[in-house]
This record gives sequence, C-alpha cells and structure tokens, in this order.
Amino acid sequence: MKLEAFLIPEDVPSAKSALKRLGEKGFAMAGGTSLHFLAVSGKTAVDLSRLDLSGIRRKGGVFHVGATTTLDELMRDQGPGWVLDQVARHTSTQQIRNVSTLGGNLVRVFPWNDFPVALLALDATLCIEGVREKAYPADVYFDGQPFRLFEAGHLLTRVEVPALKRHQGFAYHKEVRLNAGFSLMTAAARVAVKAGRIAEVRLAAGAAISLPARLPRVEAALEGRPAGDARIEEAVATGASGLAWKGKEGMSDAYAAHLGRVVLADVLAAALRQAEGA
Amino acid sequence: MKPLHEIRFTLNGEPREFLVSPDDKLLEVLRREGLTGAKHGCGTGSCGACTVILDGRAVYACLLYAFQAEGRSVETIEGIGGFDHPHPIQKALVEGGAVQCGFCTPGMVLSAKALLAGNPHPSDEELKVHMDGNLCRCTGYEKIEAALRRVIAAGGAR
Repeated sequence: MKLEAFLIPEDVPSAKSALKRLGEKGFAMAGGTSLHFLAVSGKTAVDLSRLDLSGIRRKGGVFHVGATTTLDELMRDQGPGWVLDQVARHTSTQQIRNVSTLGGNLVRVFPWNDFPVALLALDATLCIEGVREKAYPADVYFDGQPFRLFEAGHLLTRVEVPALKRHQGFAYHKEVRLNAGFSLMTAAARVAVKAGRIAEVRLAAGAAISLPARLPRVEAALEGRPAGDARIEEAVATGASGLAWKGKEGMSDAYAAHLGRVVLADVLAAALRQAEGA
Repeated sequence: MKPLHEIRFTLNGEPREFLVSPDDKLLEVLRREGLTGAKHGCGTGSCGACTVILDGRAVYACLLYAFQAEGRSVETIEGIGGFDHPHPIQKALVEGGAVQCGFCTPGMVLSAKALLAGNPHPSDEELKVHMDGNLCRCTGYEKIEAALRRVIAAGGAR
C-alpha cells in the first residue's frame, strides 16, 4: 500500500475522531503487516499500536483480548481454557508475530486468515466501538466481509473468547506448503461431550473456501451421537459435500475437497478426544 | 512529491531524528543512514535478512513503515557488536562455522539476541519457533543452531 500520510493518535477517542474525519481516505493499522497485500494508494494510516487496546484479561469464563494484542502475546499460555496459542503458534514467523495483531487478522478477512476460523469454532464475540460499543457473535461478524459492519470512526476494540470448559475439546489445523506459508486449508473444531454423547459441535473451515464459515450439516450429523461411535468421516463426507472448495498453489479443486475432508475429520477427532479426556 | 515528516526514535542507543516520506520503510531509512547490515532480501517479510530489533522484539524492517518506529528503540547489527568487540552470538556463529555467504547472518544474530534477552534458556522447540523467520540458503541451519546452543549453555547471550 502506498501511503499519503500517517497519524499517530494518543488515545482511542482521537483515533476514532481522525478515522471519522478521514472517511474513505483513512486506514486503521496496528502492526501493518497485511498492508503489503493491499493494492491501494492515497490513504492516511492511523496507527493504533500505541493505544490502550492490547492485553488479555480473564473475566469469569471469558478471555477479553484487546484488538491490538500481538500474535506473540497470544502464543503465550494464559491459563486454563486458553487455546488461541495453538493458532498463533502456526501463524507466519516470529518477526510477523511480534507486530501482527489479532485485530489485523479480523477486520479485513483474507482467505488465508487463521483467526476467523478459530473464533467461529469458539463462539467468540467481537466488539466494535463507534459512538457506542456493539458486540457481534462470530457467526454474524464473519457472515460476509467484516468491514461491512464498520462505519468511519469505528474500531474493533476487543474479542471475547470463551475459555474452554471441562468436557470440551478444541483443535485447530492449518495445511501449508511451507512452514510459514499461507494456509491452503484451515479448520477448527470445538466439541462438547456430556454423558457419553456429543452435546455440541462447532466446526469451521477457511482458506480453501471463499470466506471462513461453519459447517452446520456436519455439526448436525454429529450432535447427539455416542462419543465412542461418532462416525466422523461419514459426517464430514455427507455434510461437507457441495461446498465450493478452491485449490491453491497448483492444487486442483478436487484435491482441495479431499484435503478439506481429511483436515475436518482430523480436527473433529482431536477435539473429541480432548473432550472425552483422552 | 509527498511531504517529508520528522520522526524520532532511539537508534542503537542514541536518540535520532529522520525526515521520512509516509511510504518509507524502516529498512530504507536505516540503509540510507549507512546501516547496511540489514539487507534487502525478499522485501516481503519472509527471509529475515532485514531483521532488526524494535523495542526488544525482532521485526522485519522491510515491512515496517519508518513511522512505526516513532518513539521506539531500534537496534541494528551495527549496534550490538563488530570486528573489535563481537557480540557473543556473532563470535559463536563465526567460530562454529555457521557463516558462509553471511547474508542471513545479521538477521540471525538479531533474532537470536531478541529471543535470548527475554528467554535465556529456550527449549529446542522455542528456539526453532523464534528463529523460524530467518532463512539461510547456505548452511542448512545445523551449525547455526549448534552455535546458538553453545551461547545458551555458556549463558553469554547478552
């Protein structure tokens, strides 16, 4: 991205005011690492990285994660029920993780973004602050490009991530060609088991489909089944059929579909094992 | 021509001022100042040859805009050691045969320094994770890793 100017506001109200004033010419940035992929010019960058929008605090059963929290901080163990370290660890390289932020992964969703898939599976809530704060469940936030929810002067301020409870399991997998490469297929699952049965499944995929999304037909095929006879592959085969898989980097669409089924089954199996306490 | 802006940051321990264009990347500003230890390798935030330390953390200078360093502290390879007084990491890499063409070496040194400043005794996994942003086409990495392990064992990472 070619910048016309930059502003370094001292506080959140100044940042919001600057973005509102700039309108289409304003551009909120924190780490700025994704700007490299945006072929636009003439924008004024509003640097959010020095505002009080970072940090991770646990309130009851929910982690409140500031939007400008770096991926490096997300990689660190935050205590029982914290799972986003699994995602952060596999995102890019340490130099990127040291400046890239959670918010930067969520405001503009590129197909390869890692965190939207995880947050869909975790039933997270994303908070946008304009004049007032509005909280969006992940299912709503990611039902399209998120910037549709923002007006000039609005900021993503934090993400509320439920801590994983007992009898819940979470798994995340990203298929890449190179260790630090963009994802070719991403999947995340959260599974809850009660009284030996699968009580709840939240399954999301990304990268090989146009936007991160949940797979409700797979979820429905699994919920209620005995945990010991989940028939995961069967559920994935029928529930994920009909999705518009898209291969990348020389991969055919048909192979992407096959890879998708394998990865989805893997994350479901891993999450189920954790939920059962295996 | 875009107007130039004055930015201030601490560079290798000294407060400095620079006139920059909004588009200028930190790497360009450093190299214009004669600090050519940070290299233009890939220019896309992948190879690590441009690595510098910003507020104690290894970053890609080719991706960061110069203004992102405003008010912060930047360390380059020139600031941590040289021929007369090499940093222990530099010394270990040279003595361990872990330098061939040398193009990746400044970035390797700085990434390692940043890691060890915060975690003097990283596990093998932690070392691999924190060095995953520095590529080397020459050495195959084993001698680099071995040299870093010797530095860690000697406790001489600072």
